[in-house]
Amino acid sequence: MSEFVEQCREEWRRIGVPDPLADEMAADLASDLGEAEAEGVSAEEFLGSSAFDARSFAASWATERGIVPTPPTRGKARRRPVVLVVFTTVAALALIIAAALLLTGEPKVSVVTQRPHVVPMPGPTFVPPAPGGRVLHAGASAPVEWMLLLLAIVALGFAAWLWSSRSRPRPPGIQT
Amino acid sequence: MAVGTQRTTELLRGVLDLCLLAVMDEQPSYGYEMTKRLRDRGLAIVGEGSIYPLLGRLEREGLVDTYRAASNGGPPRKYYRPSSAGRLALALGVSEWRAARDAVDAVLAPVKVEVAS
Repeated sequence: MSEFVEQCREEWRRIGVPDPLADEMAADLASDLGEAEAEGVSAEEFLGSSAFDARSFAASWATERGIVPTPPTRGKARRRPVVLVVFTTVAALALIIAAALLLTGEPKVSVVTQRPHVVPMPGPTFVPPAPGGRVLHAGASAPVEWMLLLLAIVALGFAAWLWSSRSRPRPPGIQT
Repeated sequence: MAVGTQRTTELLRGVLDLCLLAVMDEQPSYGYEMTKRLRDRGLAIVGEGSIYPLLGRLEREGLVDTYRAASNGGPPRKYYRPSSAGRLALALGVSEWRAARDAVDAVLAPVKVEVAS
């Protein structure tokens, strides 16, 4: 086997091309190179500039055939964690805010259950609760807080799933 | 690389898949056989234009079918022929190529080339 084919074999081994496929490609390449040589055609004429870079040639062939995973582009690889970090931070903040609002129990809307008799005045007026009157927390804003809490929990769960899917090793995705 | 050679390489890059599909459509062929048939028609594979990665892509995209058969007195070779999807891609590609070629010709045809001696 020529040195060129042997270098291709090494590259295929290095990038994880399954042996049967590497054997097949090496045999085809060796046969073609042998036939070209017998006809007086140089490797450069046959393979172009690939004849001077066996490793790039081998990697390109295997990648185009889909028998090794295509490495993610650097831009993509960088962008995704940034988006994930921002998403997770926002979800965590929403959770903290919702929990704090629910725990502090500050009344957001109050209603007066015992009103003093007053003569209605035109225009908007503020009527303070009468001394001894009961002021109840109507909880009109509580559903919003609960919804925020629920949304934050769902978002955090989704973020956790995204992080775990990132850390899982991916199958090589071989298509033959 | 000379400017002329580089341009030829770049022009070929966009249509080499069509040329491969066309030659294997005439007759199923193995890798080296295809380059010979292209060369016989004046298309030398220049620059980085090895056909193997391109054949790999055509295979991955389902545009070619392959089978192994003995060549003339040689070892068994991997033969390629267009699949039905490959024939469709060839027909569409040829149509696109002709439209592009005609448009470029319309622009370049009036140019008078004078080479100073």
